[in-house]
Amino acid sequence: MVSKEEIEHVAKLMKIDLDDHAVHIDRVQKMIEYFDILDKAATESEEIIVNEQPLENLREDKYEPYKDKLIDKLKHYKEKFVRAPKMV
Amino acid sequence: MNLSISALEYIDAIKNGDFTIEEFVSKTLDHIKKVDGKLHAYLSVNEKALDQAKELDKKRKAKEKIGSCIGMPIAVKDNICVKDTKTTCASKMLEKYVAPFDATVIARLRKQDALFIGKTNLDEFAMGTTTEFSAYGPSKNPWNTQYVPGGSSGGSAVAVSALESIASLGSDTGGSVRNPASFCSIVGLKPTYGLVSRYGLISYANSIEQIGPMARTVKDTAFLLNIISGIDPNDNTTIDNHGEDYLKDIEAGIDGKKIGIISEMVGKGTDKEVSSATKKALSKFESLGAKCEEISLDMIDYSVASYYTITSTEAGSNLARYDNLRYGFDFDLEGYEFNSYIAKTRKNFGPEVTRRLIIGGFVPSAGHAGRYFLKALKVKSRLTKEINSAFKKVDFLVAPTVPILPFKFGEKLDDPVAMFLIDFNTVTANLTGKPAISVPFEMSNGLPIGIQIIADSMQEKSLFQAAYALESTTNLPKVPL
Amino acid sequence: MTKIGLEIHCQLTKLESKLFCSCKADYRGFEPNTNICPVCVGLPGSLPRLNKKAIEKATVIAMALNCQTPPKIAFFRKNYFYPDLPKNFQITQLNIYGPTSIGQEGKISVEGKEIRIRRIQLEEDPGRLIYEGSSERTQITLVDYNRAGTPLVEIVTEPDFENPKQVRLFLNILSDLLENLGVSDPSLEGAMRADANVSIEGGSKVEIKNINSFYDLEKALQFELTRQQSLAERKIEIIQETRHWDDRRKITISARSKEGEEDYRYFLEGDIPWVMIAPQVVSRLKKDMPESISSKRERYIKNFDIPTQVADVLSSDKFYSDLFEQAHSEKNAKEVANLITTDLMGFVDTKEKRKESKLNAKHLSDLANSIIENKITRNSSKTVLQTIVKTGKSVPQIISELDLGHVSDEKEITMVIDEVIKEESKAVDEAKQKPETINYLVGKVMKKTKGKADATLTLELLKKRLNC
Repeated sequence: MVSKEEIEHVAKLMKIDLDDHAVHIDRVQKMIEYFDILDKAATESEEIIVNEQPLENLREDKYEPYKDKLIDKLKHYKEKFVRAPKMV
Repeated sequence: MNLSISALEYIDAIKNGDFTIEEFVSKTLDHIKKVDGKLHAYLSVNEKALDQAKELDKKRKAKEKIGSCIGMPIAVKDNICVKDTKTTCASKMLEKYVAPFDATVIARLRKQDALFIGKTNLDEFAMGTTTEFSAYGPSKNPWNTQYVPGGSSGGSAVAVSALESIASLGSDTGGSVRNPASFCSIVGLKPTYGLVSRYGLISYANSIEQIGPMARTVKDTAFLLNIISGIDPNDNTTIDNHGEDYLKDIEAGIDGKKIGIISEMVGKGTDKEVSSATKKALSKFESLGAKCEEISLDMIDYSVASYYTITSTEAGSNLARYDNLRYGFDFDLEGYEFNSYIAKTRKNFGPEVTRRLIIGGFVPSAGHAGRYFLKALKVKSRLTKEINSAFKKVDFLVAPTVPILPFKFGEKLDDPVAMFLIDFNTVTANLTGKPAISVPFEMSNGLPIGIQIIADSMQEKSLFQAAYALESTTNLPKVPL
Repeated sequence: MTKIGLEIHCQLTKLESKLFCSCKADYRGFEPNTNICPVCVGLPGSLPRLNKKAIEKATVIAMALNCQTPPKIAFFRKNYFYPDLPKNFQITQLNIYGPTSIGQEGKISVEGKEIRIRRIQLEEDPGRLIYEGSSERTQITLVDYNRAGTPLVEIVTEPDFENPKQVRLFLNILSDLLENLGVSDPSLEGAMRADANVSIEGGSKVEIKNINSFYDLEKALQFELTRQQSLAERKIEIIQETRHWDDRRKITISARSKEGEEDYRYFLEGDIPWVMIAPQVVSRLKKDMPESISSKRERYIKNFDIPTQVADVLSSDKFYSDLFEQAHSEKNAKEVANLITTDLMGFVDTKEKRKESKLNAKHLSDLANSIIENKITRNSSKTVLQTIVKTGKSVPQIISELDLGHVSDEKEITMVIDEVIKEESKAVDEAKQKPETINYLVGKVMKKTKGKADATLTLELLKKRLNC
């Protein structure tokens, strides 16, 4: 079962203010319960398949400055910085 | 001048001088003005479209070289970046976000002188199958506006279906191109993973999603794929297709080909109208010379659980960057501490995104990582092996695109598991990386039914041949506008 | 028993571009937020474009530290929220699906003590936070993303260090090694950083973070060991925790990590397919690897009969060993080595001085040859070197301009000896009685000739003159 505490913990981890954690419990519970069918798939011994690429395909190490002044298109402070809230 | 022409017909007509680009674009804009208030395919319409059309006409008149799209109006799902254009993902979180660069698919279409007529509606961050989760209100199905258009690329499907654009781009994470294509009676392709660059597609579940073309005909879809596909240095996951021409030999037919019907996808939970349409499609295939047999893929029963585990985990990470520090919406940070500010601004995510982010934090968190996520990856791998061996026996796998008919607004919203099952037939192609296309096949009581064909990786060319063959057997009504 | 383990972060400052985009790898000297692009600020829709050379250089580091390098490497996402992290996850490496990080299970010897390397991983550096005011508690946090995406190699050791001194020696060796490989300039501010974990007999492991320099690391380790020992003496439990080094107060402070903070939800980075590193690539990298410091050292001793201490200094500093390699011939090797390690070191002891120095290998070679050929005394060579470093003028030019030419003419030296004998009658008497004090007179002759006189000849002539 998914507890209110667990939802609160995850909400904190994902940095989302929830107005009412309880609202989510039922829905999350239903989804998680549905995921439990994965247990029946009996794939424990399965090796995972991944995409691969040879080293040779990767980008060459070359400096190419970005053509636009990107900071102008971001939220900026004193024209040069991105501002964040205080940390403590 | 008829707005319902196909992309290839448009190109011929412009070349013939039947009408100018400006005339066609102007008529399209008028039509959008007329119908979009009701249908809500677009989140924003390109205000410069007419000027751009005039420019292209001038270029043509001056006999300057012009790209193969010749000003064709194309609609773009609003999770694909178009330079200097608002790109919101239908989220309040990106209400004011203007993309500073073109997605690779956009740059390639732009080079061919396509005209981006507007950005289309979707479920917020592409999470949904109805567009009901758009923060800006749903799109309506042009066949019956009480019904959902499908999703998440609902706006892109509606735009093409309702003649608000000739073709469009969508993105498909678990069926988001094919599902609305099916519900709106157009063609939609989910390419092989890596065939189309994702650079500039705002990620939802990056390991399985692809941008896909949506159009009125199979040939138009192939035409668009010719332009947008191929290796891209900006996306490490792209594959070289050596400039394949998907239009060439598209009419080759499917005589002698083998088709597998995925038995799990036509079983219980399938609407009877959809079942009978599928049977009819199979007999059409047989009449064209194909041999059909039933194929069972054991892992399919676990595919949706695997799909949601993987997508919510990836979404949890992909959507972490929306902290409103570098871009986003106006919200003063004065007086807030970092964590509380971020958590407060992230309340701007809608309810479905929030739910999936919670799942996305839950599933891979330290205590559960092995329990869900690794199992999901293993199911994905086993399913891929199963489908690979199926393709040793057959050329194509066929199933209805969506097991059920289009439904009314609000009908499925409350039950998450019911929503999951709408994706049952489409997620397999995403989990296994295979190309899949939805072809409009039948109308049932005025509601469209699409048939899905899946091919082996990088076999888009033969996939189009099968899709074209099936399309040629149909004679579908015009959309009631 | 004291156990110390390290996590060392080293920027690959010698690369041209960042790990996932084409912005400059070495961000130093840029105005804030001018070395950025959609990829390194994590704009929606951007994707990482992996730098080939970063993988190659990191592999070379792994090989130099005697690590296993896997045939396929994978990247993972480490998820946490921080304003310097534009995507709010860091692309890094792990070994949760088998050995897929750049290197593992290496070792390096520190004065006979073997330090095991657990893992080497390639990852992206975050941006930099600037606090307006003086602490994190002040109102305004500013972010500069110029550093975001700089290629970073993290070297994780086993807890094999027994004391802070071993740590210091290890870091010196590592820093020389990285410089010798040509992958990094460890002297750049922030190019090498280290976190540590410390435990004493019977106590839990304590992580120390936020250490800005290797000097502070030693201080932090000493503080932490003292703190843990005093807790143990008072029979107070040492709890497992993360502590931050307070640079100003020179103490470690409990970070009081919040609940769930350590839950990084690692999973595979789907935007980067696993990279296959073919055996041919590994052998090519091995072949092209610069000669190791220890091999250079041995070669210098064996081939050129250079004293051990000189060979140590010469081989461990890339600037000197590069100069030596270019300047030396079979004949002058020893003299070149001497010039570098006795005289030159004093003139180019800082990075700035090295940059400004106008000396090249030909200068050194010419100078060494001049000494061997008796064109100049060993004494005046120091002045010549100093002038070269300042002006870059050629050796013959300096010798003639400063009138430093070697005097080995008997008559000329005899004239000077006469002068000295006149002036130093007291010393002359003393020398007649105690022959060992004659060097004083030799010195006087040298001074009068500005060091140009041949010392051996002068001594010989003086002895003859004083009949001793």
